[in-house]
Amino acid sequence: MALDVAAGRAGRPAAARRPRVGVVKLASCDGCQLTILDLEDHLLDLTERFEFVEFAEATSRRSSGPFDILFVEGSISTPEQAAEIVRLRAAATTLVAIGACATAGGIQALRTAAEHEAFRSAVYPVPAYVESLATATPISAHVTVDAELRGCPIDPGQLLELLTAVTTGRRPQLPDQAVCVECKRRGIPCVIVARDLPCLGPVTRTGCGAICPSFGRGCYGCFGPREGANVEELAGDLRSRGGRTDAEVGRLFAGFTGATPEFRGVTDRLGGRPLLPLAPATAHVAGEHDTTPPAWRPDDARQ
Amino acid sequence: MVIAPSSWTSRPPEGAPPTVRWLPTGHLDDLVQGLRRQGRRVVGPVVSDGAIAFEEIDSATELPFGWTVESTAGSVRLQRADRDAASRRAFDTGPAWRGIKPWTFPSRVESVGFETRPDGSVAVRAEVAAGTPTAIIGARACDLAALAIHDRVLTGGPAVDADYAARRSDLFVVAVECALATATCFCGSMGTGPEVTTGADIVLSELDGGCAARADTAAGARLLAELALETAGPSGAADAAAQVAATRASLGSGVDTAGLPARLLANLDHPRWDQIAERCLACASCTLVCPTCFCTGTTVSSDLDGTASSSARAWDSCFTAGFAQVVGGSFRPRQRDRYRQWLTHKFGTWWDQFGTSGCVGCGRCVAWCPVGIDVREELAIIAAPPPPPPPEALVAVSPEAPDVAPVEASVATPVSPRPGPALPRVIALPGPKVDAVRPPIMLPAGYVSAIVTDVRPETADTATLRIATDDPALLAARPGQFVMAAVPAFAIPPISISRIRPDGLELTIRAAGPATSFLTRLRPGAGLALRGPLGRGWPIEDAHGRDVAIVAGGIGLAPLRPVLDAVLAEPERFASIRLYVGARTPADRLFVAELDELAARGIDIRVTVDRAGPEWLGRVGIVTQIFRGAKPTGANVTAFVCGPERMMTAVADVLVDLAVPPEHLWLTLERHMECGVGLCGHCEMGPRFVCRDGPVLSLAELGDDLRREGL
Repeated sequence: MALDVAAGRAGRPAAARRPRVGVVKLASCDGCQLTILDLEDHLLDLTERFEFVEFAEATSRRSSGPFDILFVEGSISTPEQAAEIVRLRAAATTLVAIGACATAGGIQALRTAAEHEAFRSAVYPVPAYVESLATATPISAHVTVDAELRGCPIDPGQLLELLTAVTTGRRPQLPDQAVCVECKRRGIPCVIVARDLPCLGPVTRTGCGAICPSFGRGCYGCFGPREGANVEELAGDLRSRGGRTDAEVGRLFAGFTGATPEFRGVTDRLGGRPLLPLAPATAHVAGEHDTTPPAWRPDDARQ
Repeated sequence: MVIAPSSWTSRPPEGAPPTVRWLPTGHLDDLVQGLRRQGRRVVGPVVSDGAIAFEEIDSATELPFGWTVESTAGSVRLQRADRDAASRRAFDTGPAWRGIKPWTFPSRVESVGFETRPDGSVAVRAEVAAGTPTAIIGARACDLAALAIHDRVLTGGPAVDADYAARRSDLFVVAVECALATATCFCGSMGTGPEVTTGADIVLSELDGGCAARADTAAGARLLAELALETAGPSGAADAAAQVAATRASLGSGVDTAGLPARLLANLDHPRWDQIAERCLACASCTLVCPTCFCTGTTVSSDLDGTASSSARAWDSCFTAGFAQVVGGSFRPRQRDRYRQWLTHKFGTWWDQFGTSGCVGCGRCVAWCPVGIDVREELAIIAAPPPPPPPEALVAVSPEAPDVAPVEASVATPVSPRPGPALPRVIALPGPKVDAVRPPIMLPAGYVSAIVTDVRPETADTATLRIATDDPALLAARPGQFVMAAVPAFAIPPISISRIRPDGLELTIRAAGPATSFLTRLRPGAGLALRGPLGRGWPIEDAHGRDVAIVAGGIGLAPLRPVLDAVLAEPERFASIRLYVGARTPADRLFVAELDELAARGIDIRVTVDRAGPEWLGRVGIVTQIFRGAKPTGANVTAFVCGPERMMTAVADVLVDLAVPPEHLWLTLERHMECGVGLCGHCEMGPRFVCRDGPVLSLAELGDDLRREGL
């Protein structure tokens, strides 16, 4: 991992300047950016040590680079984004993908396994206005990524750990363990064993602090599959508990990280994706669904 | 704590029955308040998040009155007990889901801190846990059996977990004998319950309307006397005895413990391991609810500039991916390796290490496994008594189980006097030697500040640090020992000592990861903290009067350099001395000038490189090829070998072919090490903790384990 942009310490030369940090978004909800802002106790320290040259949710300052560290939120969902990420990669020494969208495609990647046109028609009254790819893919599908922070949203502690690792030069401690490990450490009784709740914790990488089980519900798998995730066995187990149908179990895996090969394999086999095509959205003007571009565009209307 | 085997109707060996008192249900709180008056926090079972957990309580009303638990493989359900209001009970629930372990061995403990001072030196801050006087009410026989095992593991030496010792030192235990056995309970077959025979100050048997209570220690007797209870009379004692007997009778299937370690370890290649791996989620739940599992991992947190950091130890598990990881990969890459590690440790090699089983039969691993894997079934399949082998079958070790009958539970103690099973192993493990003179190593203490006085680059990625210290323990290091080398903010790597000097140590470090990279970039005057010396070193005396062959591959020369120093300091004690060195390329050779000088003095040094340019006039090839012409042959050779594990196995093969006796063939192993003293569990290899029982081991001691994958 090319994370060695460390500031000085005893025995090493001090960095001449603060590392330039960018936070950019692609197809995403901005929630991960807001999580960075949740690091309230550390923000002053962070801005002292890093120069945030671009961070949409925090500053109107913009930069085209170069970046010592670039955090990228969101997946690649449009042709423009596919081009943009190549440019961003070239401008960044260290590129860190943050959040389920940037690391696994996100919820929008559900369309990857479905009819893209059906989704567009279901969501937008005039789909022709929307230029989108048939897939929503993680950053690593397009460019080399130096580190990933998973989750929907990311965990602020993991972000701080990554930044600390960058400044000190150590390896970030981002454990690839099951959420179960965190539940046991925190004293949260297993919601599968004690309550038959559907929970993806055993196959999902921890890092969230087991938030969902601590509130008495199963893990959504937003940190994505961990190393060697035994998804087939868990799916079988969840099916045998509480009389769930195949499709119900399949749908559990079709969430924020449902486009990862491990989770997608379950949904492909058991079904459970949202039924498509849905009824098309209704356009206010046209009154009925039409896939051909209209003669006028919204910009024209404004003139 | 006085551990007195006892029961309700007799107290061996004298045979005098204990005084049994009657604690009416309505007065249970008197017991809680009596303990609180002693200044203790009181911990008891409560209903929490749909399960029974031990939490701090203020009064007995918080106990789970009226609840019971139904537990099967992969399912635990809290239910209303089928008793009328007048006979509602507080302890009808079976084992609590994490037991009492969180109170004696918490899931996370801050351990040690480091800070770089303005002058560059590193200050050490060992956070000593102050024990809070604690009383636990409602511990079960399995909990106390597990506690006794933890006592042995964590305080039995040579290293002591200081936090555990502090928590344990003033713990008052009110145990409850189970009136209910769940379908996952198998304490009876493990000889640990349901009778409470050890570890409690007071033992309760909850009957209709109240508890029969007996004191097993003087402290327990004092408290019972303070409560001014009536005696329960002979019927109370008889009812208590009858109830626990009924519980024992209701226990379901168990584990056949007769000769179990031998049966299990004879089946390391059983096909069932692969089948379990298909079912096992490797979620680690079994290990984390196990009351005896003690493995921990270290996490480091630091400020942003890395000048100050603190380490914490947290529950870890041999099922996790990083557990047996070193820079080159994991020693247990497959899930079958990890399940096998857990099961064979718990039921097999635990005996070698601690003289007891690691399982107390509480069944938590069965109940809390999301997919309901049942160790009882797996053991019955994997460690089944073997069918008679066909005549031509090759039987390497005798799988015959020693005939160890289950001991009668009424006299069994968890860390029991029953004989350890005769393992199918020719060589006895060199057990940890407890030095009577030296006090036990207390973790997390033991780090001393030291200063780098000189840094000598050896190769592009390797440097030798000369470190000044006046710490007598470090200065008494022996060849082959290692230290934990700490700088703030980094993981703490184990580093072999590459020279022992009168005024300090030398460490030769290859930049393999961030921590070792940082260490190699330290400059004279920089500080660091060292803990050690650790591990078993090279037995130089084994080579007295013999032909010494020192065989090094790559960085493996570093821990062998003190051997060379020691041997050359008194060459007359050895018949001959030869050094064989392999390196990847000429540029990767270590200590070049030093070795050239020794060669000039007539020391027989042979060097080979894997690949070289035309400027290299020496030998090219793997290290075993340079044996040609100067073979370390015969029964009079003592070999000291260090290098990558693959190189060491190849060298061992050649040396064995050359008739070098396995007990004179010494290797040093690399494993994931975090504590260095056998407490964190990461470096386990079969029955050994490599950090403590090694890292130097003879081929005879290692046997087949050296080549076994996934161990």
